[in-house]
Amino acid sequence: MKELDLFKKAWKKDIQSYHQVTELEIYKMLHTKSSSIVKWILIISIIEVLFWTVISVVYNTDEYLKKMDLENLNIYFKALNFLNYAVILVFIYFFYKNYVKISVTVSTKQLMQDILKTRNTVQYYVWYNLTMILFSLIAGIALAFVYNPKMELLKDKITHESNYNTLLIILGILVLCCVIIVGLFWLFYRLLYGILLRKLNANFKELMKIDL
Amino acid sequence: MSEDFEKSFVKQLKQNQNIIHKICRLYTNGEDAHNDLFQEITIQLWKAFPKFRGDSKFSTWAYRVALNTAITLYRKSTRSVSTISYEGQYHFISPEEYNHAEEEQIKLMYQALQKLNDIEKALVFLYLEDKNYTEIAETLGISEVNARVKMNRIKGKLIKILNP
Repeated sequence: MKELDLFKKAWKKDIQSYHQVTELEIYKMLHTKSSSIVKWILIISIIEVLFWTVISVVYNTDEYLKKMDLENLNIYFKALNFLNYAVILVFIYFFYKNYVKISVTVSTKQLMQDILKTRNTVQYYVWYNLTMILFSLIAGIALAFVYNPKMELLKDKITHESNYNTLLIILGILVLCCVIIVGLFWLFYRLLYGILLRKLNANFKELMKIDL
Repeated sequence: MSEDFEKSFVKQLKQNQNIIHKICRLYTNGEDAHNDLFQEITIQLWKAFPKFRGDSKFSTWAYRVALNTAITLYRKSTRSVSTISYEGQYHFISPEEYNHAEEEQIKLMYQALQKLNDIEKALVFLYLEDKNYTEIAETLGISEVNARVKMNRIKGKLIKILNP
């Protein structure tokens, strides 16, 4: 291609003068903060982990069980709590392992893959927590329904009704609540990471297309 | 970190700054964005400098870090509109050496290059820097054959842009 060859000649001769940065300016730059995507992912991830860890600790079932006189079920919830802490530790280990692997000196494809992998680790953690919360929510309602004396009236109504209207309404509200909660989180993440990762995802796709 | 270490980095960066300027020129469309990207690349180079062993040239090592920063790490869209456009920003060092027609062609080529996507720009950059396809493939993490095929397609795309 004639035009490109001509351009290449000019390119190599450095015919364009760029404003030459002085040593002093470089020193100054070394002490400014990076605004790289990796840094943003780290900050957001730390916030996320803290948020979800606090939520899972605060969302404690002990009090609730005591209130309902169900302390014999406590052992299951203790086990669940234990599992929760184990998951947090495993997650932090994987996140750290993936994060330190990110290096700007590897190939472009490798770098993108490493960043996306780190990002996905956090994503899995978020989905795990969301699943646990929904699970606790459903389990809580089910337990309340079976053991809570206040529910007797409602139970009576359901058993004496010829159709299942009341039961269906309760189930409907339950499903709707779950859908809304998951939907809101999904939307939030789509927005947050849609903005943050748009460029990275587009370039990654473009790069993968070359090797198709 | 020792002062000498910092000094050595600053000195080498200053000597090799044109390679970074060229990448900034390709990936941004205004002076503000150019300087912003230059700064981010400098930070990334400095962070990675302890790993630079000197078994390759500083420039060879720098262009990889610089490209990775421009394509992947730099958060702001490289296509964002800037208040100060490049038009008239850069001056040719020795105008008498280049005739006006040639200058015009170079300008047109820069405009055409702006229309490529980030990955295509990286291929063109490496091609212009006289890297062979083994190096291009290795830098981007694609296969050599496909790097060659892609480069030919980009040339075709540029012809189309230049001769609409």
